[in-house]
Amino acid sequence: MSLNAFKTMAASAALIPALLAGTAFAAGDYGSFEDYTLRVKLIGGAQYEPLYAEISKWEEATGATVEILSRKNHFELDREIKQDIAAGTLDWCVGSNHTSFAPQYGNIYVDLRDHVSGDVLAGFVPLVLEHSTVNDRLVQLPRHSDVSNLFYIKSLYQDADNQSQFAAEYGYDLAPPETWQQVSDQAKFFANPPDFFGTQFVGKDEAITGRFYEMLVAEGGQLFNDGWEPTFNSEAGVRALTWFVDLYQAGAVPAGVPNYLWDDTGLGFASGTVAMNLDWGGWSAFFNDPENSKVAGDVGLTRAPKGSAGIRTGWSGSHTFSVTETCDNKEAAASFVSFLTDYDRQMVEARKGLLPTRTQVWDDAKAEFRADGNDFLVTVFETYQASMAEDAFTPPLIPEWIEVSNVLWPQLQAAMIGDKSAKEALDEAAADARIVMEDAGYL
Amino acid sequence: MIETARGRAVGPAPPLRRRGPDLIRYIRTHQTRLTPVLLLAPAILTMLFVVAMPLAFSLWTSLTPYRLTRPETIETFIGLRNYIRLFQDEDFWAAFGRTILFLAIALNVEFLLGLCIALLINKITWGQRMLRTIMMFPMMFSPILVGFQFKFIFNDNIGILNNALQSLGITDQAIAWLVDGRLAMFSIIFAEVWMSTSVFAILLLAGLFAMPRDPIEAARVDGCNPWQVFRHITLPFLMPFAFIAMTIRSLDVARAYDIVAVMTDGGPAGRTELLWTMIARTGYENARMGQANAMAYISTILSIAFTYYFFTKLVAARRYMGGAE
Repeated sequence: MSLNAFKTMAASAALIPALLAGTAFAAGDYGSFEDYTLRVKLIGGAQYEPLYAEISKWEEATGATVEILSRKNHFELDREIKQDIAAGTLDWCVGSNHTSFAPQYGNIYVDLRDHVSGDVLAGFVPLVLEHSTVNDRLVQLPRHSDVSNLFYIKSLYQDADNQSQFAAEYGYDLAPPETWQQVSDQAKFFANPPDFFGTQFVGKDEAITGRFYEMLVAEGGQLFNDGWEPTFNSEAGVRALTWFVDLYQAGAVPAGVPNYLWDDTGLGFASGTVAMNLDWGGWSAFFNDPENSKVAGDVGLTRAPKGSAGIRTGWSGSHTFSVTETCDNKEAAASFVSFLTDYDRQMVEARKGLLPTRTQVWDDAKAEFRADGNDFLVTVFETYQASMAEDAFTPPLIPEWIEVSNVLWPQLQAAMIGDKSAKEALDEAAADARIVMEDAGYL
Repeated sequence: MIETARGRAVGPAPPLRRRGPDLIRYIRTHQTRLTPVLLLAPAILTMLFVVAMPLAFSLWTSLTPYRLTRPETIETFIGLRNYIRLFQDEDFWAAFGRTILFLAIALNVEFLLGLCIALLINKITWGQRMLRTIMMFPMMFSPILVGFQFKFIFNDNIGILNNALQSLGITDQAIAWLVDGRLAMFSIIFAEVWMSTSVFAILLLAGLFAMPRDPIEAARVDGCNPWQVFRHITLPFLMPFAFIAMTIRSLDVARAYDIVAVMTDGGPAGRTELLWTMIARTGYENARMGQANAMAYISTILSIAFTYYFFTKLVAARRYMGGAE
């Protein structure tokens, strides 16, 4: 063999791994990145940690090392990422993301369809992938999803006295609610403040904006019209906000709800002092755990009710992972996010009650729970699977979502605590939101 | 040739290589005058990089529509538009006023409680060191943890305070501590005071330890009662320490953020909105750092005013102690 021929073969051999590395990753193939250090920024918190215990398996498979630069809650991570954008210090490769936050970040993240194979993407629930797409770019791979359904205390509905009294007062049978009007009736019926409340809701920050938004959609309204003019101060908007105001003024919800966030509502329902609680699936195991919850063994779950337009509420989002455009090894980064969202890793999270984003994991997790005799988690997964497939919708995927939320939620609170009427509050919020949209160049 | 301003040639220009020795000769000649400048240079440079440059940078950004997520907007000069918007913004001035109220109440309550604690601990002869250490425990907690702790204490439904009040039969209502306008301000002031009273107590205790005994004994011999001794000798002696504590704490409280953000985030409906919850939301959540920096510049007026006031009082108190008044 001539020296030139040998060089050609050697060059070809060297090219093969490079070509492989340059192609999108297929399922189960995570590549080889010997001695490479992948820098990542991840969301932190007890419920997210079990997944990170799996990272060492990816390191063993690929020969790479993962350096975790940050492990903060999402709001702090959001600040840090914005600071990185401002300072031009996007010197890391993988970041935790969220469907609500992603549009803010412009084009700092790659389109993952260029780096992850179609086979891998085909395993995800199509609607969730659609929600992960911003400006026709798949900027994030969904890790687990978030949509809310209605938990309730079963024994309240089985009680014969409650059934007869409710039917006499409201003219229809007491059953887990199918509409938000029924939720309102039942909440007032069950409420006995300050010892017991009919329902509750989160009352500040993006949390109440999201709750109002999904109620607005269920009432047939929209946040913006096609020209991005704010339209949430419509009749549907007033009906949606009045639902919250009415329950608050009637004392059917705790007086502190304007200050509640997710931990307050979750712990409130687990304390056994609230009849119904619209919440995400991550609380399921906690609610049914006798060590943490006074309603364990007595928890029922029904799909999120419908508004007057016949639409179910379904404000949804997903926790995701993204790869930066500035990453020095996008293939390694794509391999890592593919690994963190693969079948085995999603099963790990599903066993903790987190809602998967892969179709197969929904079915297999249910089968596993059924085999273990855990009927409650089977019900949870069946209910949430139906919601994610049929009811889920995201807020408008625009960078201004959080800013619009920040002008809206103080006005929602003002209506709730009686400082303004629902119409006045929404009109003021719409005027402020219009300025936000004008400044951003939409109007 | 080098020409003077009048155009007259005075001789050839010195070759470049001779400038080094010239410089050394110049430094040697003016050594006495340059030495302080050279010695201070590291400190001056550090101050320039750490304080002056960031201040100048943030002042510039307050004159732009700078958004964190669109770094190119830092190059667009919009003059005083951010400031003009703020001067027309009622919510901003309401937060400004609320911050002054928050500052005034928190500082006075912390001073009074800190003074009581310091006087009591000063009287103790056994276990004083241990008490001093225990007293500092609240300062050791992160403000965020303090915020979460009081958020759950003041929770209307599952909070320990309402449960205790209801169990003791004091009320049969679920008091909305963090929702009612006045109670919400009271709750966040309570958390702030709980965490930081010990700053006053420690500084005032240091003052009590440093206090000479002779004037007190002389006053007693002259027939002063305990109140008169406290009013005319102990308190004037402690006031410089109190004003130092107030200066430090006024700067802290004026930028109170963590506790308020966790407990109420400025709500409900802006009832507990302070300057820094508003600035942080504008700068980070809305990513409008230009506007947030304009707010921050106006808010520094507040800090400067309080600092100036307390330093004036400090000087006056020291002059009083020196017998000038």
